[in-house]
Amino acid sequence: MKFIKDHIMFILPLVAILLGIEFFLVFDRMTASYEQRLREGYSMLVVSNEPISLQELQSINKNIGQSIKIERDEILKEISLGQKQEDIKEILNVLPNFYTIKLAKYLDTSSLDELQKDLMANKKIKRVETFGNSYSSNYKLFSFIKFILKVFIVFMSVVSLFLVIKQMEVWGYVHKERMQVMEIFGAPIMLRSGVLFKVAIADALIATSIIVSLFLYFRYQIAEISGVDVLMNNSQLLFQPNDAVTLLLCAIIIVVISVYMVVFSSREKEA
Amino acid sequence: MANVIKATDLTLAYNRGKNEIIKNANFSVKKGEFVFITGPSGSGKSTLLKSFYGHLKPAGGSLMVGGLDLTEVSTSKLQELRTHIGIVFQDYKLINEWTVAKNVVLPLMIAGYSLDVQHTQAQRLLRHVKLTEYANKHPFELSGGEQQRVGIARALAKNPMLILADEPTGNLDEYSSNVIWDLMENACGQLETTVVVVTHRIPTIFSLPYRHFIIENKGVYEVH
Repeated sequence: MKFIKDHIMFILPLVAILLGIEFFLVFDRMTASYEQRLREGYSMLVVSNEPISLQELQSINKNIGQSIKIERDEILKEISLGQKQEDIKEILNVLPNFYTIKLAKYLDTSSLDELQKDLMANKKIKRVETFGNSYSSNYKLFSFIKFILKVFIVFMSVVSLFLVIKQMEVWGYVHKERMQVMEIFGAPIMLRSGVLFKVAIADALIATSIIVSLFLYFRYQIAEISGVDVLMNNSQLLFQPNDAVTLLLCAIIIVVISVYMVVFSSREKEA
Repeated sequence: MANVIKATDLTLAYNRGKNEIIKNANFSVKKGEFVFITGPSGSGKSTLLKSFYGHLKPAGGSLMVGGLDLTEVSTSKLQELRTHIGIVFQDYKLINEWTVAKNVVLPLMIAGYSLDVQHTQAQRLLRHVKLTEYANKHPFELSGGEQQRVGIARALAKNPMLILADEPTGNLDEYSSNVIWDLMENACGQLETTVVVVTHRIPTIFSLPYRHFIIENKGVYEVH
């Protein structure tokens, strides 16, 4: 019973930390996917006096990813209905060039303003329409959700870290005497901490398995049959094989640091 | 005979040299000698003994143990030295979660001996201290005298060049004390191990020739 209790006291905070890490990974993928969709769905309109190439636009600001020229004939068709042929010619002479601009990456609103300023500073460009209001409201909501989730993950990790430190104190109490006696008789650090390492590595493996199983279950059982579009369409983002490696590495780093801290704090000190 | 311990102007101090315990001590202990160190409480007997296994670095002078200068010694060299020293403590310092047999072979385990060798040696050592039937018990199940015999068996496990004993009979009755002294004499007389014992008083029944150092006013003096 005591053995199980000792393990659970370390596994639980470790699970909480790994849960935070996995949430972070999932959230990172979700936000990357959402940012991509926002980016792909967003475009600016640039009006120029002269034709302007993509290279020219990219030399003005590197955040421009794509420019699509809106054919003047198409525009003319829309605005010249019922006009005389001479008038149409005149319109064609004065009609500027229209470009739809796509972004190379997701930008915050200040970078978007900067992009607009850079474009407007070019002599060829007459006007830039960023449709900033809808972009800004999407961006603010997205930033807020991102912030709240990060705060939650950090808070959860800090609380769990305190629990790990508490367990380290217990380890120190339980293993100190043995490690000190072994040190007096000349045992190297790896031999002194061997038992503790075995316990901690086993706990790291158990904690990682719990999180991996949990997220696999979410991915294949809950997300797939949830009926919620966003979950069903993005179920692959909930867990990826690399996550298991990342989680195991994090767990092992945490236990190795914890064990070494216990070992060093248990060293015989000169009185 | 070669010196196992040689102190030259040895100064030992706590609090980074502020609190001097031993000052400018000069003495040596040769291979195979039995040495008693006595002195009043708080005189620095245990401190001096701790310095022999590198628990306390000299604050001044030099201290050679087993040919190693403990003034400037690396962790790995100190670990190596400690595997050649058997230490017996007043409070036994046995590992309670281990069996008596496992406690006894701790020095062999550290030296990397196989489990078979450890098992054979555990039986031999426990036979030597007359505790064969206690092999699978835990230290807390034994009396003080029995625990100290386990401590001596552990100290002897690897045929050390030096045995250091800090008040080995301090917590024991007269009968148990005599058994312990007998084992100590045996270690020195038959195995030719150098033995240094810190004690309040030298046992009245002691058959081996020995040297006696006394610590007084921070100095270490030999009593003739």
